[in-house]
Amino acid sequence: MTNEIKPINMPKWGMEMSEGDINAWYFAVGDEVNAGDDLVDIETSKIINTVTATDSGILRAILGATGETHAVGALLGVIASAETSDADIQAFINSNSSAAAEPKAVTEASAPVAAAVETAPAPAPATIPQAASGLSKLAEGEDDSLVAASPVARRLAAEYGVNLNNITGTGRHDRVSKRDLEAAVVAAGGQLIGNNRSASSAVHYGDDSNVKATPVARRIATQLGINLLECRVSGDRGRVCKADVEAVAALRNKIPTQTDRNTTVSSNTVASQPISGMRKTIAARLQASKQTAPHFRVHIDAEIDALLAVRKQINSSNTDAKVSVNDFIVKACASALIKVPALNVQFDGEQLSYFSNADISVAVAIDDGLITPIVSDANHKGLVEISNTTRDLATRAKLGRLKPEEFQGGSFCISNLGMYGIKQFDAIINPPQGAILAVGAGEQRPVVKDGELAVATVMSLTLSSDHRIIDGAVAAQFMSVLKGYLEQPATMLG
Amino acid sequence: MTTQQFDLMVVGGGPGGYVAAIRAAQLGFKTALVEKQHLGGVCLNWGCIPTKALLRGADIAHTLKEAEHFGFTVDNLSFDIKKLVQHSRSVASKLSQGVAYLMQKNGITVIDGTASLADKCLLDVEQDGKVTQFKATHIILATGARARNLPSIEIDGERVWGAREAMTPTALPSKLLVIGAGAIGVEFASLYNDLGSDVTLVEAEQRITPAEDADISALAEKAFVQRGIKILTNSIVQSLDSSGADTVALISGPNGEQHLEFDQVILAVGITGNIENLGLEPLKVETEKGFLQADGFGKTNLAGLYAIGDVAGPPWLAHKASHEAVICVEKIAGVDAVKPLNKDQVPGCTYCRPQIASVGLTEAQAKAAGHSTRIGRFNLNANGKALAINEAEGLVKTVFDEQSGELLGAHMIGPEVTEQIQGFGIAQQLEATEHELAQSIFAHPTVSESMHESVLDSLGIALHQ
Repeated sequence: MTNEIKPINMPKWGMEMSEGDINAWYFAVGDEVNAGDDLVDIETSKIINTVTATDSGILRAILGATGETHAVGALLGVIASAETSDADIQAFINSNSSAAAEPKAVTEASAPVAAAVETAPAPAPATIPQAASGLSKLAEGEDDSLVAASPVARRLAAEYGVNLNNITGTGRHDRVSKRDLEAAVVAAGGQLIGNNRSASSAVHYGDDSNVKATPVARRIATQLGINLLECRVSGDRGRVCKADVEAVAALRNKIPTQTDRNTTVSSNTVASQPISGMRKTIAARLQASKQTAPHFRVHIDAEIDALLAVRKQINSSNTDAKVSVNDFIVKACASALIKVPALNVQFDGEQLSYFSNADISVAVAIDDGLITPIVSDANHKGLVEISNTTRDLATRAKLGRLKPEEFQGGSFCISNLGMYGIKQFDAIINPPQGAILAVGAGEQRPVVKDGELAVATVMSLTLSSDHRIIDGAVAAQFMSVLKGYLEQPATMLG
Repeated sequence: MTTQQFDLMVVGGGPGGYVAAIRAAQLGFKTALVEKQHLGGVCLNWGCIPTKALLRGADIAHTLKEAEHFGFTVDNLSFDIKKLVQHSRSVASKLSQGVAYLMQKNGITVIDGTASLADKCLLDVEQDGKVTQFKATHIILATGARARNLPSIEIDGERVWGAREAMTPTALPSKLLVIGAGAIGVEFASLYNDLGSDVTLVEAEQRITPAEDADISALAEKAFVQRGIKILTNSIVQSLDSSGADTVALISGPNGEQHLEFDQVILAVGITGNIENLGLEPLKVETEKGFLQADGFGKTNLAGLYAIGDVAGPPWLAHKASHEAVICVEKIAGVDAVKPLNKDQVPGCTYCRPQIASVGLTEAQAKAAGHSTRIGRFNLNANGKALAINEAEGLVKTVFDEQSGELLGAHMIGPEVTEQIQGFGIAQQLEATEHELAQSIFAHPTVSESMHESVLDSLGIALHQ
């Protein structure tokens, strides 16, 4: 490894990003990092994303502590070899410093996490190559969709974040060409994409089943998730041997240890894996919800025979409709939220926000967790529209293709486990929402009507509410209105 | 038993269906494909591919015939049509296995059987009398189409062949009647003429390949007549009498009626969609003239139901089906900037000799649509490469909108033009004008230089004619 010192800077994701919050570091000072490792999660107003290491080395300093907000380009940390002296690191930090990168605000009362260089005055600055000034001027301007530009130029403009209004076209009829765009980017002090593309982008290897390898090498490779095509071939008869696989493993710092081997001896194998970003988010949010929002639950049963009859009518008379029972529940909740607005609320711990429309989050189970896409303005949508919107949202949720605004927000949440035959359950409030409805299966049950035993299709509904902001009577009122809409669906239309 | 559930199910394993399944699996849908017979559909098994394998045989026959021109003497030539058919069938079977591999590689569940809709998002699949029900949020019908019969003339597989029988002959017909001079009819006429049959081609319209530009049709007709194919246009086969040793056809045309004798007939008068027994009627799925009605993204009037490919209407081309498959699935998945099918950008290829390829509007269609046009023409007899390979019969015709410079259409006839049409297709997709095409550098010596010259001709600056 060289003695080069590599900065970790606040990235710029998209034109509107001017600053980001440090969400979490994956490494502590002194840890060894490899190029491609996830380094730090940065949260912007729009997304949480991860900065990955472009170089390998030791994380020598962290200048952007968890909870702090830093400007784009600010120095957040330093990676260097173990041999690089502290003084050199400090000099590097000083030379990259300016007031611009001081933490703007500390959102959590946290001391900056372990700056390794203790003498660090640590106002970190930093210039990233695509610095703001020149290029940001090129970004300004009105909608450029009417500017004449070649398809290639338009694509590159989007990548550079350049507004085509600022480019002088020299093509026929003054059309902006790729050459015009690149000339302008260079003139503004920017670097051309492609001239410094990172070489560390992941390489995808193909099917390795035909690679000649020793049985041991093949088995170790499978265990370590190493593709045999990655390996050098140094075995006899042109085969990949054990040493070749272990060389790749060593490169990846995944040398099989005794404990790794031991775990495969037991028939009850333990598959350990770091939790996904989504799982982390779910874990953090729901834990916070349970800890901060005092949940209380109210429970009610609704008879849905009339609803099922209406559903059948709608679906048989309308080819482009496949309305589900859940669609009725979304509609009924929307109507009930308008009638009982005290429940159509978000609470961030200090501020109460009441909503005039019902934006209803619908919990969708996906492969590695769950997500809650939002049927917005559900109170203004008809059943068929709710149904088609929900189907589209659920389809794209499973594919991971929702836009952030389609699952962030919402004023109320519905979680339905009826399709699994669950009779009744409690749900945890999805903060900052005030309440969540847990829906069980509709099933035939004996009921007593006018002193007679009868059979009805009954569905159990449980509302969890945040008692800091919603009182028992309000929750009860909501549930009784909801029951009314579900049992007499025609009344929702009013 | 619980009903098995998928995010997306495709009915039909042709170039529409299997591509839809692959794209869906790539996007993360839990996907299944139902096929009742052969993966690959008509295209791989009974259409595009096996006919191209046969036409390669016709090419060789033609090459052998003109070998003398190049100084070769070929003696004792014999031909066994069974071997050619064997080659064609082995290619089809290899490709069908290739599709099976692709399904497996992409984690697609392949279900053997015949599917029909039981309800919205509910599919019954019948195999060997046993019906299994499947649930799917999205169902794509890609059931294809089959050869159409005439009221008075039906395919019987013996005297009257459809395309399927015509590509698996056991003996070479001596006198062949081909009814219909669209792409399929013209290809079989060309094939059997090259292999040695005496071919008569009958077309109800006033010219062969009536969907192509009139200049192209005229050149094709000239080339066919030179090869000894008899062409009867504006003519209709009224009836066939197969009671005797030969089949007697009663053909009416501009010069009255005539009786002609043939030992084999091929019926190629168009196709009709496979919409029967799909359970469409009870669910009120809209169809028109034998095809499913769908929007530019394949969506039908029924919730969660889509139709792509031949069953969704013309043009009946494999690549149109595959393209519809991709845009249909991407639209469902919410992929950004998916554009509906533009039928004026679907190229069409006919593998007769000389080959025909075209994309977009003919000159007549452009004029009828109100465009003031700029037309370019270049004859292959001024193209060095075409002369060198002794196939200088051909034309490249380009149709531009005079104001915008948009390439409205391109029409080609000549050697390997089916490989060249892509160039014009890309230009259309990128909305290149005649100037961008004129400024492009075409390699020499190639047949496709004629594409460049045709564009230059539209500007009045053709260099080599």
